[in-house]
Amino acid sequence: MEIPYIVTPRKDTGLFNSKIAIWLFLASEVMLFGGFFSAYVFLRIGADYPWPERTLPVLPGLINTFVLIGSSVTVVFAWASLKLRQWRRFQIFMGITVACAAIFMVLKGIEYNVKLHHQAVRLKDYTVIEGHLGYEKEDGVEVKDYKGHKIEENQILIEASKLTFSTVRFHKPWVESLMGQAAHHNAEITLTEDIKAITEIGGKEEVIAKAGDKLSPGLLSRIQKAHLAARKSNSVHRTAALREEWKIAKNDSPELKGWQLAGAVSVDPAALAPKLISEISTVGFTVNPPVEFMFRPRDVQEGATQSRLRDDTVIEGKLLESPMIFHHVDAIDFQHLAMKAEQKGIDPISAIDASWLVQNSPFAREAWEWHKGEVAKLEAELLKDYGTDKKGNPKREPTHKDRYRIGWKELVKKVESEGRPKLSGTASLAEEFVGPNYAARGDETFPHFSVPREQIGFASKFTPSWNTYYAIYFTMTGLHGLHVIGGAIVLGYYLFCGKKMYLANPEWLANRVEVGGLFWHFVDLVWIFVFPVLYLM
Amino acid sequence: MANSPEEIKKATTSYLIVCGILFLGTVLTVLVATLPALDIGRHGFDMWDCVLGLLIASVKASLVAYVFMHLNHEKKAIYWIFGSGIVFVICLGALTALAYSDPLHDPFFK
Repeated sequence: MEIPYIVTPRKDTGLFNSKIAIWLFLASEVMLFGGFFSAYVFLRIGADYPWPERTLPVLPGLINTFVLIGSSVTVVFAWASLKLRQWRRFQIFMGITVACAAIFMVLKGIEYNVKLHHQAVRLKDYTVIEGHLGYEKEDGVEVKDYKGHKIEENQILIEASKLTFSTVRFHKPWVESLMGQAAHHNAEITLTEDIKAITEIGGKEEVIAKAGDKLSPGLLSRIQKAHLAARKSNSVHRTAALREEWKIAKNDSPELKGWQLAGAVSVDPAALAPKLISEISTVGFTVNPPVEFMFRPRDVQEGATQSRLRDDTVIEGKLLESPMIFHHVDAIDFQHLAMKAEQKGIDPISAIDASWLVQNSPFAREAWEWHKGEVAKLEAELLKDYGTDKKGNPKREPTHKDRYRIGWKELVKKVESEGRPKLSGTASLAEEFVGPNYAARGDETFPHFSVPREQIGFASKFTPSWNTYYAIYFTMTGLHGLHVIGGAIVLGYYLFCGKKMYLANPEWLANRVEVGGLFWHFVDLVWIFVFPVLYLM
Repeated sequence: MANSPEEIKKATTSYLIVCGILFLGTVLTVLVATLPALDIGRHGFDMWDCVLGLLIASVKASLVAYVFMHLNHEKKAIYWIFGSGIVFVICLGALTALAYSDPLHDPFFK
């Protein structure tokens, strides 16, 4: 079937159909991204924490802007080449456009990767520490978890003597992890007592698992099967008994409505008991000797003597010191603490001086004292350059961020001012992309630091869970990135599979490239706003 | 829209000029945001940085739409379609601005 109006325009609109279609699509896209920008404004206005303004590295964003603008020009040149029936020229320009899309996504990937590996922790007094965590080692070798991943030095350690699993919810990989950890410490996890159960209606109680049986997913699955079968059978009998009681009540008092009868209807447990079989909702195991188990913080709700995993496994045992160990601290941020202090009418400087970090870390104390000096210098410079207003107040003052955040560049400036050699230009430029170079800068610039568990208020990588800024950042740039990928696929299709179409009807291909190009320009247009809003404001 | 070979050849010059303006506009946006000497308003980010940044971005976006997307000589139907999307975004922006009058935005509640 021939599709009408793909080369020649319709008389009523004066346009070929796919052009109308792409503009309708772009109009809906304007509304979609408009909605996200609007959401950004709402989130920023309503943020109850210091908004991380100008927090992303500008250079990758700037290069990506150049790349997208350049690709917008090459795609329009590719279209013009087709109009002029210059196939080779079209290939070159379209090839550059697709290459630009690839460069954009690579840079975006680097940026995401840096964020997803960068750790932040907000202490209970609202001090924020940023940096990179170390990895658990044993005899100098990095330990791997049950998935084969390296284990960050951010684990909850519990010396457990007893484990109680939920027979319905237990998570098999975690059971295997516990077994593996116990075996590693030459310990055994065995059933604490016989599991006795009535498995048939009217039957006798029998032992379905013996005390001393070793923990295994198979054993738990067997108990789970018995439990689920019992639950199914019992629910049938309970429902039947309740229905019977309900009928009796209704016959006795037909004038009453259901809700009036509800209080009078009840099942006699003693009468029902012979029809029921045993449900085993939990099963307890003993760890012998007690073992120091490691858990990811997100998987466990820790307590001094009893903790609980997300799959409802109860761990009885002593909670050990489980610090979060930064191998490199690259920023100390007192902005949130200062904001909270100001809200309470407390002098922020005094609040920071009294903060846990300043009180307990000589490095932080020294950096904070140095930073106060830098802020004083900046105040003096601004006063000198811009003077005061009519009321005698300085026209320009350091920002909240200037005053209360010690970023990685400030930490570098501090040690360089103390005589540490500077990095080469290339190495410094690389830092603008992937963040500080810990190996070259050394521990004196970005030191190790151990954060006690009890001081941690909230911890996360720089992912959408850290704050609403990162949530909207990943949403907007992620959606935009998907558009880049989608656009590149379509344009790549024209590049690599368009020859046949070109030979058959070059104007048709030119129209299709124009439509694809319009989408590509829109992708560029969105980025023109995303870049200043997310990177520069 | 440019359709004849002569018109297309002529248009390519304007594409290059616009590309140059877009590059310059991008550099200017970054300089305004990062260089203290070009900082207007208060020190650091403030309303003026926001207004200026968005103004430059709007000019750049308009150039892309006007020249690269050929809105400088399009059919009426396209203006109606794209215009409706823009109107929606403006309304959404206005709603955001109206949020300031929401009593929950009262500083007392902060």
